Amino acid sequence: MIRFLPLVLKNVFRKKTRSVLTIASILLPLFVICILGTLLAALDADPSGGKGMFRLTVRHRISITNFLPEAYLPKIRQLPGVKEVTVMNWFGGKYVDNSAKNFFARFAIDPEPFLRVFDEATVVEGSTAEWMNDRSGLMVGQVLMGKYGWRLGQQITLKGDIFPGIYTFTIRAVFKGADESGVYFDRRVLEEAVPRFKGLVGLFWIKCDSVQTVERLPKEIDAMFENSPYPTKTETEKEFQNSWVSMLGNVRLLITSITTIIVLVILLIAANTMAMSARERVTEIAVLRTLGFQRGTILGLVLGESVLLSLFGGFLGVALFVLSFPGFKQGMLSSPMGGFAAGMRLFPGILALGFGITLLVGLLSGLVPAIRSAQRPIADGLRQVG
Amino acid sequence: MESTEPSPQPRPPLIQVQSVVKKYTRDTQVLTVLDGLSLTVDAGDFVALMGPSGSGKTTLLNLIAGIDRPTSGRVLVGADEVSAMSESALAKWRSRHVGFIFQLYNLVPVLTAYENVELPLLLTPLSRAQRRKQVELALSIVGLSDRMDHTPRQLSGGQEQRVAIARAIGTDPTLLVADEPTGDLDARSGEEILVLLERLNDEFHKTIVMVTHDPKAAAKAHRLVHLDKGVLEEDVRAAGSGG
Repeated sequence: MIRFLPLVLKNVFRKKTRSVLTIASILLPLFVICILGTLLAALDADPSGGKGMFRLTVRHRISITNFLPEAYLPKIRQLPGVKEVTVMNWFGGKYVDNSAKNFFARFAIDPEPFLRVFDEATVVEGSTAEWMNDRSGLMVGQVLMGKYGWRLGQQITLKGDIFPGIYTFTIRAVFKGADESGVYFDRRVLEEAVPRFKGLVGLFWIKCDSVQTVERLPKEIDAMFENSPYPTKTETEKEFQNSWVSMLGNVRLLITSITTIIVLVILLIAANTMAMSARERVTEIAVLRTLGFQRGTILGLVLGESVLLSLFGGFLGVALFVLSFPGFKQGMLSSPMGGFAAGMRLFPGILALGFGITLLVGLLSGLVPAIRSAQRPIADGLRQVG
Repeated sequence: MESTEPSPQPRPPLIQVQSVVKKYTRDTQVLTVLDGLSLTVDAGDFVALMGPSGSGKTTLLNLIAGIDRPTSGRVLVGADEVSAMSESALAKWRSRHVGFIFQLYNLVPVLTAYENVELPLLLTPLSRAQRRKQVELALSIVGLSDRMDHTPRQLSGGQEQRVAIARAIGTDPTLLVADEPTGDLDARSGEEILVLLERLNDEFHKTIVMVTHDPKAAAKAHRLVHLDKGVLEEDVRAAGSGG
């Protein structure tokens, strides 16, 4: 079959404008499919490099906006298999204004245990000591620093809503490795500013000694506080992240549906091109068969043409995606969706899926014209003119 | 004195068409295109099939060339019963034994003259170098060695038909079938093509069966077969031709 490749290649570009338009109509949707697929895969990815599988979160059973008493901390810490526990309160508030472009995650934490629980976070500018020694010190994710062009030592003012007041922080440390689109500060700042929140905790984060402990502890912890006024819901880090994603609606179904529709549209476009191309060459294909080309060879030639056409588009689409990925990820990380984009990378599975889709589109779009071309009686084909 | 040598066995004809009927069904109508036609053609002969439109000339040519099948009757070419072969065996047989020349040349427009002539050779086990040799020989026979890299669009009608003839003879087939080979050409180009066909018949001993409406073209043949309404009306050997 390889000796027919030059013929197949020449047929692919027989009508240059049509071929280029068809390739473009595959290239661009493929690019979008790669983006959507990467987003979908990022939702399932673990940006902590595997460390997240040892972590649990404990929150109020009703909602994350309901607080738990800090008194739970020692009770959780004494459970077998618990290596460290830290607390985390969602600050909310606003930076500059309430626009989406100025939205980023703001958390009040206990610095020392926080760094032990999230030990994948590495300080790349400033130091943890400076951050911990300054009550109003701020530790900022590297992506966020880049987005706003902040500098170490710069003062950042946040206006509280859940915790009313104006809070001015100084950037003392820049980290990478965890969610790099957020800021973290000592929660004592809030407790001093709004004393009624003293002793209240939004989330406990637990670092476990093993995966078995991660499996065992949720039931144990929730059972421990079941009859208290503050019942808990303990989840793995992955479940916790998924609960955030689900707040956006059924994102997976939405992305999968959009991708499916795009694939169908490409299929129809490619099938139309192949049908036109084969229809225009009825006589030519009949001539090839008079020369001795077998039905199987004709089938292979037409299918090869549609697969090559599709693969050209697919390859360019995937290449465009790979080239634009760094910029795309940077843009996503700087957006309010930055937390979800932290796990984005070039997933080999998504790139393979892109090629798989183009191969499938090529085969399916060429199948009917190929079978028709191969099955048409030669004498009928020769009678057609043009 | 009587010769003691045994008299030579008469050679069987190359083509034997035996009581062939070909019917087409269009909607509910059954159309009989060939009606019990029988014909033999000797090896090395040059036969012109003539007759009015719808007389069954092209259908007969298609049956002889193995690109259509009779409704009943047999078609034999050499020792092969073409009418009984499977689709796949027929394709293989055509590639080895038949060269086709069409009225509208039917070259592949995206291929050069060289590539068009090479097309049927791609189906053979010949190496690239062997194919090149064959293609160059075929193109030199038709006088187009200097047009190898030209695409059909860059050639005149007569040159296109000569490339088509080179494609037909590239595999050195037993039989050449031509359907109105001069029908789309001006008088001068048509004459050149006929001279070329004559030469293929005389010098290279190719058996040629040609459908034509053109009396000038028919005059080049050794034998004229007239068909009408699917039956053989007249079969005459041209004066001066052997056989």
